[in-house]
Amino acid sequence: MTGTYFVRRVGYGLITLFVVMTFNFIIFRIMPGDPVSLILNPEFSPEVRQLLREMYGLDQPLLTQYFLYLKSLLAFDFGHSFYSRRPVLDELMARLPNTLMLLGTAFALNVVIGVALGIKMAARAGSRLDTGVTGVSLFLNAMPPFFIGLLLLLAFGYYWPIFPVRGTMSVPPPTGQWAILLDRIHHLVLPVTAVTLSGFGSWYLYTRNNVLGALGQDFVLTARAKGLTHREILYRHAFRSVLPPIVTLVFLSLPGVITGAVITETIFSLYGVGRYLIDATLQQDYPVVQGCFYIIALAVIICNFLADLVYGLVDPRIRLR
Amino acid sequence: MRRLMTIGLAVSLLLAAVGPLSAQDVEWSPRGPYVDEILLPIITDQEAQLIALRRGDIHVYPGLVSPTHIETLEADPNVDITLSPGFHFFYLAMNMRREPLNDIVIRRALAHAINREEIVLSLFQGYVLPLAEFVPPASPFYNPDTDVAQYDPELARQILDDAGYRVGPDGIRINPRTGEPLREMTILTPTYEVAPTSAQLGAMIAEAARSIGLPVRAEPLDFNVILDRIQNESDGDRDFDMYVLAWGLTRFPTHLYSLFHSSFDVDGAENTPGLRDPEYDAAAERVWTPRNLDEAMEAAYRAQEILSWLQPYVPLYSRPYMDAFRSDVVTGYVPHLGYGAASNVYFSIWTPLNIRRVDRERGGTVRWLLPEEPSSLNVLVGTSAYDFQVFGLVYGPGLIAAEPVNNEDFPWEAERWEVGTWITPEGTEGTKVTYWLRDDITWHDGVPFTAEDIKFTMDYLKEQRVPKYQTTWSDYSHAEVHDDHTITVYFNTVSYWHTYNVAGFLAKHIWEDVEKFDEFEPWNEPHPTVEGLTKMIGTGPFVFKEYVPGEYVRVVHYEDFWAGLDR
Repeated sequence: MTGTYFVRRVGYGLITLFVVMTFNFIIFRIMPGDPVSLILNPEFSPEVRQLLREMYGLDQPLLTQYFLYLKSLLAFDFGHSFYSRRPVLDELMARLPNTLMLLGTAFALNVVIGVALGIKMAARAGSRLDTGVTGVSLFLNAMPPFFIGLLLLLAFGYYWPIFPVRGTMSVPPPTGQWAILLDRIHHLVLPVTAVTLSGFGSWYLYTRNNVLGALGQDFVLTARAKGLTHREILYRHAFRSVLPPIVTLVFLSLPGVITGAVITETIFSLYGVGRYLIDATLQQDYPVVQGCFYIIALAVIICNFLADLVYGLVDPRIRLR
Repeated sequence: MRRLMTIGLAVSLLLAAVGPLSAQDVEWSPRGPYVDEILLPIITDQEAQLIALRRGDIHVYPGLVSPTHIETLEADPNVDITLSPGFHFFYLAMNMRREPLNDIVIRRALAHAINREEIVLSLFQGYVLPLAEFVPPASPFYNPDTDVAQYDPELARQILDDAGYRVGPDGIRINPRTGEPLREMTILTPTYEVAPTSAQLGAMIAEAARSIGLPVRAEPLDFNVILDRIQNESDGDRDFDMYVLAWGLTRFPTHLYSLFHSSFDVDGAENTPGLRDPEYDAAAERVWTPRNLDEAMEAAYRAQEILSWLQPYVPLYSRPYMDAFRSDVVTGYVPHLGYGAASNVYFSIWTPLNIRRVDRERGGTVRWLLPEEPSSLNVLVGTSAYDFQVFGLVYGPGLIAAEPVNNEDFPWEAERWEVGTWITPEGTEGTKVTYWLRDDITWHDGVPFTAEDIKFTMDYLKEQRVPKYQTTWSDYSHAEVHDDHTITVYFNTVSYWHTYNVAGFLAKHIWEDVEKFDEFEPWNEPHPTVEGLTKMIGTGPFVFKEYVPGEYVRVVHYEDFWAGLDR
């Protein structure tokens, strides 16, 4: 990687970020509706509306609002939520651990299960097991996540009530570090299972198809001719050749870990980023949506950059210039 | 105290329709609480809420809505469901600024074409009450003798025929003033994804309108878009023909003023139909500024009669409050007319005070569902129903409560009060209210609650121009503290409602140092002198202990509560 490449990528990243920030500002303001309208009361007078506009800073000219917005985002100051009046960063940081715990775990499981199964089934392509695993993966992948979540809730929350149906801790929580840790894990089992069941299928299919393609290539034939074992051919040659696109996909999917899973968070009453973002969008809570989308955009840009870097590392043919 | 809850014929019909539910004897006491602790676990999904109740994870489930859930719980022998007619009001609004809805004939014909019974049965399986009046029957100001437009499609056609709206060749009526077929009108409704019954209801009304020759279609839209179109005025008009939405009202009839008086027909205000009628304005003004309750009652009755004739809205139904309790675990819940047994703790403290465990007379924990995350536990900021649920437990009803049977005033922190008038410095007449406070009330940190706290609260709300309490401070002039337990509060206008606008929920010794009210997080700041307390202190029956975001809120019994069982 050359210095020029690094500077160029950072420059592109900053331009993208600026465009995203500008769109973030414009889109929510041209959307129909008014944030102050959502505090509904039959006795809501125009004077209250004006007071709220002043409190939210919406009485200022649009250009002034825009420059204030750019300045504060660059300083990582997202302001206060219109709705709760609490600092957006505090609210976001309070929710992020739950989302990371849920989606981080599910993401890791998705990749591990999907990729491992994909390699195994590619090696047994056409077998009954392959047909069965592929069918189940396709079926689960096509099922709406809310349906899987509700089924799990009903099965293991009600008919066989071995798991809690809400949150990340018991109410009241247990005492003692180990008890707290076990309690957390106990609460995470159902939501993580729901996200994993609906998510591993795409990784499985992607890996299976790529490995299957690689197994038909000339270099695999050469490896076989050299007398290498099936295992060596599968992992050191076929899988190695499809590793770069998988690694790229992993990095490109990483930002999804912080955007939250609205449906799963709602079904299992998890205090996560997904619900926060959706509620804020519906309530037109500008500071919250602007702050969240800024962080998401930042994560996407950074992960894209990392994907490029890692691509170079796992595939020696690629040189970044 | 034991009274029988009076319910009207409509609710009886509803009760008959829902079978096992029955009108309940209301047994309540102004003393309590019986339990040591209330835990409020946050459960956001409706199915998970239902499962949690049936598993026993929660004992109180406020605000049952889904007919399927109601039927499931009715069949559960461990669950008891209370039912209270509510102040909920669902309506069809019509834009009277536009042709042809500016013609009373069209509005009245449409009102006669809508079959409320069918709506109630087909969309809600009988779990809501048909409503044709402009004040729900749960309100003491409901006028039962109002001549309302009942379902009569033949009469609807007759009204249109008599006014010259003859039916054209394609079945659409001809406008007698232009000779052209009536233009197509739309009913804005929330989308099927967000509010399926409201969307369906819009379609049913459109069909009813078409059946009498009025070209109407339903247009499902995003909620924000509907608000934008109905609230914002441009060139003296608002961008809608009709829409369906709901209001949550209170025990007072002041909405008759703010929803229909001509002064609220300005950009952003809530007179969305654009009603401008001098006779109605006069009645509404008397509703807004009565000198006593009799005057308010008489004006509210008159206002309802005029509205029922002018028909700016067509009232459609009112949703009663249905709350579920684990009857094998708790008892003593109090259905409050208009507020339910557990749905509106802020307006009805009686269930938190009276609820107890079946296995003991006193003590223990009750687990009470919180269906959404509180938005803010700062009493000057939080506006969601879930914030109010916690505020109700910590702050209590304030100076004057409403008893649960007929919603009559019930002295709470004020032992008595006297309403009079005074002449303002500008020479106009204003209202003054003198309160005699109980002398045994303390804040949760033990500091006595006095008239100074009331004066401070009123002054603070006005100085800080707190939007949420604008109706409290907008006409407030000043307060005079006579002694620790007597205060006179002065308002610049005449209105009996000011009696209920006086508040004292801000502890002066905590809030006097707070400069930016909206950035203060009292529940997150430790109390300056008392360990184990936060700055979120009130005078209510429960002390706030902790709020773990996303998980639960915990409040405990206040040992020195002035209305406690041992006092």
